[in-house]
Amino acid sequence: MRRSTWLLLVVPLICPALAAQTVQNATLRRAQQAFDNLDYRQALSLGQASLRERLTGFERARAYELLGFTYSGMDSILKAVDAFKQVVLIEPERELDPNRTSPKALSAFQVALTQILVIRQLRVDSVEFIGGQGAVGVRYTVTQPSRVVTRVTGGTLGSVRIDSTVANGQVNIRWPARMPNGDPVPAGNYNVVVDATIGQNSFSASQPIRVTHGAVDTLAHLTSLPGYTYLPETEVPPKSWRPLGLAFVYTGVALAGTSALSNGKLGSASMREGGAIGGGIVLAGFIMTLKKPAPQAARGNILYNSLLREQISRRNVEIAQENTRRRQQVALGVVPLPRTGGGR
Amino acid sequence: MNGRRLGGLAVGAWGVLLTAQPLNRLAAQHVSIGPQIAFGDYREVSSDLHYRGSGIGAKATLEWKKFSADVVFSKVKYKPASDGTATTAFDASEVDVRLRYYITGPVSGELGFINRKADPEFEAQSVGAVTAGARMAYLLGPGVQMALSGGLMFGAKYSGGGTTSGVGALQLGLGLTVDALQRRIRVTGDYGFQRFSRKTDDGSGALPAPIQQSLGRIGLAIAF
Repeated sequence: MRRSTWLLLVVPLICPALAAQTVQNATLRRAQQAFDNLDYRQALSLGQASLRERLTGFERARAYELLGFTYSGMDSILKAVDAFKQVVLIEPERELDPNRTSPKALSAFQVALTQILVIRQLRVDSVEFIGGQGAVGVRYTVTQPSRVVTRVTGGTLGSVRIDSTVANGQVNIRWPARMPNGDPVPAGNYNVVVDATIGQNSFSASQPIRVTHGAVDTLAHLTSLPGYTYLPETEVPPKSWRPLGLAFVYTGVALAGTSALSNGKLGSASMREGGAIGGGIVLAGFIMTLKKPAPQAARGNILYNSLLREQISRRNVEIAQENTRRRQQVALGVVPLPRTGGGR
Repeated sequence: MNGRRLGGLAVGAWGVLLTAQPLNRLAAQHVSIGPQIAFGDYREVSSDLHYRGSGIGAKATLEWKKFSADVVFSKVKYKPASDGTATTAFDASEVDVRLRYYITGPVSGELGFINRKADPEFEAQSVGAVTAGARMAYLLGPGVQMALSGGLMFGAKYSGGGTTSGVGALQLGLGLTVDALQRRIRVTGDYGFQRFSRKTDDGSGALPAPIQQSLGRIGLAIAF
């Protein structure tokens, strides 16, 4: 799809969201303007007045945040902390930009965080793994020491507890995405719910996720091993004078033997017949010496190739077994979905 | 003559043994057969009885697993040499049969017999003997093989009588085989030397009457 087409589809979806994230209330706008003009008293009265009006959740959080900044500017730290508590209760994920916020306001915000119980920064990793051989990472931050129970709800699963602990600060847990009987979690949409409880106070945060099932990739069979190639099974030996030498030796032995074995009473032995045949042998030996030797079986290379073939064959048997196993497995994909609201 | 009877029976027996195989095993056999030209030198009793001649021959070989057999026939017309006192030519018809068994490396063991008949019978000695020896073969190159053989001849019988001691009859051989036309044709060259230290006794004591022959053969053979 072309980029322009994408834009046409995406922009209408984004615009209402953007409108929802802007301040529409006039009183609150005036309070913000007064704060920008460093008129803290005016900002304070207008901010408090705006809270008595009908505000959206975003505007209410902005109003308390403006009060927190204003009280910080007026050195009313306790009131600033109270205002920031309200901000965090409305928007638990709210963070202040340390580069654009005064140290007093930052300090008050941090104190506010430690005085209320919230679950912040709940994150579920986007992962893909083979069922039973991996786990999904779940992280969150709990602002006060509390009993925290993590559950997965939805689909055919009902509600399955995956972790229960007393924690404070950042917590990392790993969820193997398996049912109590060991089977992979069925495909579908679920919620990772984190409940924190301390005394009468409790807080709950959730993160929707989607679990998908897929086939596990199988391995291709090998035709060669990387880095190993077959060697030629025959090789031409270097030229040698051995044929001529042995032709001389054989002929010499025959002629010398004839001479030695010849009976002295019969005169000197005839060398005509032996010489003719011996000459032919020496000539053949000479020609064979000049001729390019015939390729001979390279025993080492044959053994090497045999070992290589055996290795590839053995590896392919292992791959076939592994593929059979993989075809019975499920590739689980876990993707976090956009959240619809904050915690409470 | 005993030697002739032995020769005929043995040829027949080896022929039956080596060819009476199931058809599916014939593929493992290698057979070659072809004519040869023979030329030789023959001496008897003393250097005065010296003959030289030429003739024809034929050679057949059969190879099967570790066994191989050579059957050689030659007929040489020997004529008196110029340095001798002999006056009459004669024909020497010889049959040489050898069965070979591969032992190890280049070495094979040989067992066989020879039978040579002279015609006219009284111009030279007819002889028959059992041969035993060894053969060393070496492959000079693709399709080119040379061989050196040697051995003893036992139980030699002569048409004119006489005896030979246990190691008195010796033979030596040299051979060359060149395969051509994809091993369909085989060029052969063979040299054989025989010496019989024959002794005769006419009642006055043992007298040496040695026999010696050098025979060369060059030929072609069809292999299948």
